[in-house]
Amino acid sequence: MDAISYYDLRHVTGEVTHIDIDNGVVESAGTSFFNKAILRVLVRSGWGVLQIDNFTPCTGRKFDALLERAARLAVITEEQVALGDVTRSQLPVPPLKEDPREIGLEEKSALLAEIEKSATLPLIVNRRANYIEKFEQVRFSDSSGNEFTYAMGRSGFNVLAVASRNGNIQMGYEREHSIHGFNLRHRQDVGRKAAETAVSLLDAVAAKGGKMRAVLDPELAGVFAHEAVGHASEGDLIQEGSSVLKGRAGERIGNETLTIVDDPSLCEFGFDPVDAEGVAVARTEIIRRGVVNAFLHNRESLLAVGNGVAGHARAMPGEPPLVRMSNTFIENGDSSREEIFAECKNGIFLAGSRGGQVDPGRGVFQFNAEYGYLVENGECTKMVRDVSLSGEILSTLHQIVLCGNDRKMSPGYCGKGGQSVPVSDGAPHVLLVDAVVGGNGMD
Amino acid sequence: MEWIDQLIREAEKSVDEVEVFYVVGTSVSADLRKKKVSHASTSEDCGLGIRTIHKGRIGSSSTSDPGRWHECLKAAIASGNLATPQEWKGLPGPEPLDQTSLSFDRSLDVGPGTAGKLLEAMLEGAAEHPAEVTSGSAGVSALEVTLASSKGVRYTSRHTSVSLSLEAIHGQSTGYEFDHSWALDRVDPATVGERATFFACESAKGKDIPTGDYDILLSPLAYAELLGTVFVPALSGRNVHAKRSRLAGCLGQKVANPLISMYDDPHLPGADGSSRWDAEGMPTQRIDFVRDGILSAFAYDLKTAYRYGKESTANAVRGGYGGSPSIGHHNFVVDGKRDTVDDERVVFVHNVVGAHTANPMSGEFSVELSNAFFREGGEFQEPIRSAMLSGNIFDLQHQIAGLSRKSRTIGSLILPSVRIKKQHIIGK
Repeated sequence: MDAISYYDLRHVTGEVTHIDIDNGVVESAGTSFFNKAILRVLVRSGWGVLQIDNFTPCTGRKFDALLERAARLAVITEEQVALGDVTRSQLPVPPLKEDPREIGLEEKSALLAEIEKSATLPLIVNRRANYIEKFEQVRFSDSSGNEFTYAMGRSGFNVLAVASRNGNIQMGYEREHSIHGFNLRHRQDVGRKAAETAVSLLDAVAAKGGKMRAVLDPELAGVFAHEAVGHASEGDLIQEGSSVLKGRAGERIGNETLTIVDDPSLCEFGFDPVDAEGVAVARTEIIRRGVVNAFLHNRESLLAVGNGVAGHARAMPGEPPLVRMSNTFIENGDSSREEIFAECKNGIFLAGSRGGQVDPGRGVFQFNAEYGYLVENGECTKMVRDVSLSGEILSTLHQIVLCGNDRKMSPGYCGKGGQSVPVSDGAPHVLLVDAVVGGNGMD
Repeated sequence: MEWIDQLIREAEKSVDEVEVFYVVGTSVSADLRKKKVSHASTSEDCGLGIRTIHKGRIGSSSTSDPGRWHECLKAAIASGNLATPQEWKGLPGPEPLDQTSLSFDRSLDVGPGTAGKLLEAMLEGAAEHPAEVTSGSAGVSALEVTLASSKGVRYTSRHTSVSLSLEAIHGQSTGYEFDHSWALDRVDPATVGERATFFACESAKGKDIPTGDYDILLSPLAYAELLGTVFVPALSGRNVHAKRSRLAGCLGQKVANPLISMYDDPHLPGADGSSRWDAEGMPTQRIDFVRDGILSAFAYDLKTAYRYGKESTANAVRGGYGGSPSIGHHNFVVDGKRDTVDDERVVFVHNVVGAHTANPMSGEFSVELSNAFFREGGEFQEPIRSAMLSGNIFDLQHQIAGLSRKSRTIGSLILPSVRIKKQHIIGK
């Protein structure tokens, strides 16, 4: 067996509380517990990794036995791995305005029920609201003597409203998640908004596909930054050769007005006080004024690829750290919302997100809006539904010609390698020319 | 497992009924970066899920530490106190079911050696075409699941699984393939590798096509992506009664081309999801959802069945040990008269990007095509560089004009390639 050159241990314990209310019925509500650890051991030929449920911290012979077990796995690995030098520090976790753990499940349930009830309107046939709260206690240590401990909680809710008329069935969906504490009080407006969207969509027309000018709202433009740029800038993908941004540092791929950032130190839903490899988190400007500037890295991809900083490794409890986005956004430009619509003149306005997907190697992405409006003479007119946008990373960024000055972040979750982590995406309103819009509408 | 009996006895002091779901397992996986194995990992998984029912109030909790079952039981009971009470006619009692596992490969060695060999075989297959391998993965696992209840149910089954995938790139063209099964000799690593590099290489020569209406051939993978996002959830009794399904009120009506039948067959020999009981201990049976294009049944678990005065169809599943059982399926089969589907010229779609962004209520979708080709005379013809397909997943079922002779397993779905007439493709 090869000698161990490095190891790290990340142990996470915690609890998850959820409430599910469906058409006024409390379907389920309660708390579950978890205790998971991951031990990564680096030998000359690569990583051996142990994932352990119900980990009991141990030292001495017992811990050595775990190290040995992990190292033995590396009998089949054959890649020489080196780790980049990094900065170590930990940010304070922002204090909770109101600690959800101090509020009884009954009160939470009553508040959620109010939100769910507020999604009532004529033609609404189903309402559903979910509350989710997750608290984690994280302990990180490594063979270089670094140790970090922190506790952090996230909580929030989703509300869905379904409207139906003569076989036409549409939905409105809203979500509010936060790292700043309990957010269920006085939020009936969110339920109402979901209901209003669903009902309005009954009269919306199917979007007609084609090339056109498109204004994206901050939420959808944020998803655009995430799908079209964020994933392709992940250092592990660059390293393995499956990103179109590989080898393009310094190359112009967008207009002067476009700067795209990932910043895990920002106190938004994707905040991390320290990353999953015990590395200090920092802002990375992926695209700076239209030019590919830096990539997101963990220690390994930093050394192999360069351009950027580590501190972007993230993991679910008990899972291996991967290079991930955190809070990803398009920086404010200097246009007002009015200027953007005036410049669009005739086209489409796309709002809200139903998610997206990217093939970073091919550089092709697709994402879907929750709803939109036709833009005629700079004004939003007819509502449209089921409208998507797709394109190629390297050409589409040039199509962003104006960025607004009203950036807003939206919380969500992002999947990669079977792991889902909390993120936020955001942007100001942006204007795209020659956007490839998909829709099922006919002339 | 004496502690499970203890748990049940303890629970019976406070609640009418209790159900215990306990899973222990080991899994090993190895990952490729380019052509080298970079990671090997093993995990020891363990999970306990408890569901309690008291006067129609259903509670649940879970933990990864069975040593903490007292706390978990308390949390389950507390959660039940909050739930809205519903009609409940009891958990099922024990049945004399054969407990031999239907998806357990006794000869599978859950160790790094097995994963390493699978990667090697994939790389050999991949070497047939000049694309670069970017990443790949192979995993093997074995687990034991125990279902016990205060009604005396004590079912135990063992399962194994083997999964592998490979990604390749050629210039700016990507290829991806995967395979999975419960048995080692039912996966084909060399073909996974060969197909991944084949698609990457061939698609690199792709040309744009004009916007227009084309006959298309969805591969089982592309069809599964679209069907699984919208159509399959619309068959859940819960979504139907909650009015979240477009199929609500359509029983007895035509919902697909008469060529098409869809059913759940939990006893299908060799299939990954085969099981003699569902996640609530109900003996499983075949359910015909769509017979020759006519909607014939919805899927129910006990909770939904009791609430709406229906019978459970033994379609309760658990995604893991957390939460409560929910409605799903075991082996969802799309079947019908088989034929040759690629004699005449069609646009063959291997995969799609963005299926999960489809409208889950109305079924409208718009996706980017991945590895699309013209196909004619049973052969791949010119590759298509990039195009977008928009449509409606419910309407699509009516427009299906042919099912391929061979089926493929994609997750828990088993389905053929389907030929669909005149679909609108946005080209360049």
